[in-house]
Amino acid sequence: MRRYFLAAVVFFLGAGLLPGPAREAGAAISLEKCTLCHGKPEFRKLLVDGHIRELYVTADSLKGSVHEKKACTDCHFDVAEIPHRERPKRVACTHCHFKGNKEGAPQSDNVLAYFDSAHGQAIARGNPKAPLCQDCHGSHGINKAKTADSKVSRFHVAETCGRCHMEIYAQYKTSIHGVMLAKGIGDVPSCPGCHGEHRIFKHTDPQSSVFATKVSEQCSKCHSSIAIMSKFGIDVEPAATYKESFHGVASQFGSRTVANCSSCHGIHDIRPPDDPLSMVNPKNVPATCGKCHPGASANFAVGKMHVDAKKKDSGIIYWTATFFKWLTIGTMLALIVHIFLDMYGRTRRLRGEQ
Amino acid sequence: MPENDRKDVSQGAVGREVEAAVNEQLAGLPPGEADAMRDRIRRRVQEEMERELRARTSKERREAARLAREARKQEKHHEEGEMFQRFNRNFRFQHMVMFTSVILLIVTGMPLKFPEFVLSRWIIAFWGGIKNSTIVHRIGAGMLIYFMVHHLIYTVLTRDGRRDFWLLIPGLQDARDIAQNIRHFLGKTPDKPRFGRFSYIEKFDYWAVYWGCVIMIGSGLFLWFETDVLRFLPKYALDVAHEMHSDEALLATLAIVIWHFYNVHFNPDRFPGTLLWWHGQLSEHEMKEEHPLEYEEIMARRTKESAEVTTR
Repeated sequence: MRRYFLAAVVFFLGAGLLPGPAREAGAAISLEKCTLCHGKPEFRKLLVDGHIRELYVTADSLKGSVHEKKACTDCHFDVAEIPHRERPKRVACTHCHFKGNKEGAPQSDNVLAYFDSAHGQAIARGNPKAPLCQDCHGSHGINKAKTADSKVSRFHVAETCGRCHMEIYAQYKTSIHGVMLAKGIGDVPSCPGCHGEHRIFKHTDPQSSVFATKVSEQCSKCHSSIAIMSKFGIDVEPAATYKESFHGVASQFGSRTVANCSSCHGIHDIRPPDDPLSMVNPKNVPATCGKCHPGASANFAVGKMHVDAKKKDSGIIYWTATFFKWLTIGTMLALIVHIFLDMYGRTRRLRGEQ
Repeated sequence: MPENDRKDVSQGAVGREVEAAVNEQLAGLPPGEADAMRDRIRRRVQEEMERELRARTSKERREAARLAREARKQEKHHEEGEMFQRFNRNFRFQHMVMFTSVILLIVTGMPLKFPEFVLSRWIIAFWGGIKNSTIVHRIGAGMLIYFMVHHLIYTVLTRDGRRDFWLLIPGLQDARDIAQNIRHFLGKTPDKPRFGRFSYIEKFDYWAVYWGCVIMIGSGLFLWFETDVLRFLPKYALDVAHEMHSDEALLATLAIVIWHFYNVHFNPDRFPGTLLWWHGQLSEHEMKEEHPLEYEEIMARRTKESAEVTTR
């Protein structure tokens, strides 16, 4: 009896310590059961609204994804019987993905950030069209954003957002950022570059990274960096000169109506100035300025836009600034010397010197 | 009553004057008629004089009040002596309009030049945002433009304005005054330069304001009506105006805060400031000290006038 008991203990302990293959065998068994039905390519369901829901899943579906080692029921844990009596619920990613989880999922608060965001708020209000985790990250083929073929990777995320934001995606694709991205240049911003990843808010929400007063800050992240801009031969001056201009200053003081970068350059349809469709093409400048300055004439385009008075190539503006600089220095120097001489004289007289 | 009147009338200088007037009226009349008329005429002259007394102009009354004030003041600070009216009411009003507008303009304008400065944020928040602050700036601008127009008209149309304008034109004497003043500061000569109505310091202040107003109002109007200006001028003209506006603003502010404040506030003679801007008066002591030539001129004119009066 005692010997059997010992053997049983050894057996169970051994089973616990058995490496991968044996456990994967367990998962495979579950997968095998699911693929009895789901493994058939024609396995799909016609919904009441006429849509077709593809239900085809194979052993390869999870292969190469971050959930490669998970079994079906690790996520679809409400599935208890085959065939399912009720339609299985949508997978709740929050089951594992929260800070402090013990499942081995990344320790991150992104799920909370998501619930704060415009998307999460829409879900909370009961909007059925609002996206959940799997709408952006995918369902079975989920991969880290760093992986090239991830749905949220640098080169694919715009397309993912574009599934719902179609018009914006169309604009973005033809903009300079979209075109460069399509050429495989990773420096250009895709949607999250400006809007953020999980903390996405409406542009009218002060929390948003693209709120009117924060736009220039967003653009400056790249456009004031010589390291990035030198690759494309783009000047970094505009970011600084905007900040010093009345528009930039008013924006810093919280004006939402004053022009920010995107007021003139466009939002998703930003194009280089030599593009005839660009809002800042000299031909289109009067119309662009006219949005805020009614009756703007063609003269609005005569002269450099982001002009820096400290640079010699600004011409007459530079010379005006230089003249006033030396006028101020000269005048103030003379006045201050006069004041100090006056005080010196007074001190002498107070001391009784003559 | 008539008896009383007669008694009063016959007393003192007024009485003698009345009697003289009555006698003049009655000069050609026979004695009988004259006696009958005498009383009536006397009463009428008396009434006229009283009416005249009542109708003394407000100007005279003010003058009397001023003299009374001065007398009181002289009792208190007898070393200061008589008060001289240096700036008339019109001129003081102009100065008040100007400094109010300039304070508004600096307070709402400087935050735009130094947006990173902590105080800038507070000032803009005080006005309730940049939109309100720009409106206040334009109110200040309107006041400054009004001041400029007012002053030009004052210079052309009033006697004081014309006199001050000619006296404010810098001359060779000012260069000599500067040299002597510096020598005086350094202790090389015991004598201060003797200034007239306007010292070179005041002349500089005056023309600095002129220069500042022309530049600031000119470029400011460009920026205010940018769309209309750009109908005729290219955009870089607006950029030049912007640069001028911004740079001259700094120069003017520094000149006011350092130079003007030293001269009228922090200067040990004046600290913490005088009320000259309010009542426009300088004491005799100050006149002798700071504008000896003008003081002498006034004194010379007075002796001449009194001499004229006595000879007449």
